[in-house]
Amino acid sequence: MKSKLRFQLMFSVVVVATSMLAGYAVSETASPSLASPDSFASISDTNARSAAIFTELGKVLTHPRCTNCHPAGDRPRQGDESRLHQPPIARGTDGHGLPAMRCSICHGNANFEPGHMPGHPEWHLAPREMAWEGRTIAEICEQLRDPARNGGRKVEDLIHHIGEDTLVGWAWAPGAGRSPAPGTQKQAGALVEAWVKTGAACPAK
Amino acid sequence: MTRLSITINGQPHGPTDVRDDLSMNDFLREYIGMTGTKFGCGAAQCLSCAVIVDNADGTSYTSPTCVTSAASFDGKAIRTVEGHAKNGELSVLQKAFIAHFAFQCGYCTAGFLNEGQVLLERLANTPVKRAELEQTIADALDGHLCRCTGYVKYHEAVRDVILADSKRYLVANQ
Repeated sequence: MKSKLRFQLMFSVVVVATSMLAGYAVSETASPSLASPDSFASISDTNARSAAIFTELGKVLTHPRCTNCHPAGDRPRQGDESRLHQPPIARGTDGHGLPAMRCSICHGNANFEPGHMPGHPEWHLAPREMAWEGRTIAEICEQLRDPARNGGRKVEDLIHHIGEDTLVGWAWAPGAGRSPAPGTQKQAGALVEAWVKTGAACPAK
Repeated sequence: MTRLSITINGQPHGPTDVRDDLSMNDFLREYIGMTGTKFGCGAAQCLSCAVIVDNADGTSYTSPTCVTSAASFDGKAIRTVEGHAKNGELSVLQKAFIAHFAFQCGYCTAGFLNEGQVLLERLANTPVKRAELEQTIADALDGHLCRCTGYVKYHEAVRDVILADSKRYLVANQ
């Protein structure tokens, strides 16, 4: 009887510990998949299909890996919980920080894992007009179609920007302690391309 | 591995083979034996580990060393707290820190000293009005944490150095 109780107790401990570790692993590394453009082929109305494709892409655009550096204010955010950046820094005139505290002072050419420091040669904030933080997917969609608020790009340019730009690509290889953006950069690029080719329609607000 | 060549306090070091995951803080403390640069939070949030980086154009800035790789400093010239005194004599700013009892435990002092020195050098090139001085000092030292709460004394020490040589650091007749 004692050994049965002991087994049940140990089993319970193992189950709880396993679920805690699994939860930790999911929160640290999980990258939900993205549906492919083909998944939306059954939507016959082109506008509706285009909007649905963008909604799928929205899983990436509203992810903390993207919104943290597309902040609504002058300070970027950090982490999966999108807390304000510490130490306090501001975007400066060129999005690379203030003269005395440039992004590149801490952020090197690549992630520096011993210091949990993300890095890329062009580490900087998206321009103020490209703020996505706190916006709905529909609002971001309208923003991306507006050259005044998308960095002066045609929607066709976004295929390359989201699908191949290496700073954008960091979102899928952010280093330990940060969840990567959903899917892969290639999948995201395919969604942008499909969205553009179907007329770049936006979801209803 | 990266072959690191760096100038520290005017002295060339290396080339030295360093692991790409070696922090600059560990390089200074463990490879060079310069333990004046402290390791505090390890997350670039207290800046006790800050050193001065000298640009080729004569300007300078501070950089944390705890979250930055040693390899990223290859080819650069830096100054640490060990480099402020010359010929056994403390710098003006160091003397002011002592005169103001600006530190207690001293753990954050190297970072404050380096930041204050960068400010002095910046003001020597770009003086500010007297009315802007308090905010200028506060902005410069912002981000450096002191658990002994010596902020006011650090601020006063830096201000005293500037006011003692106002022709150099402040816009005239302001």
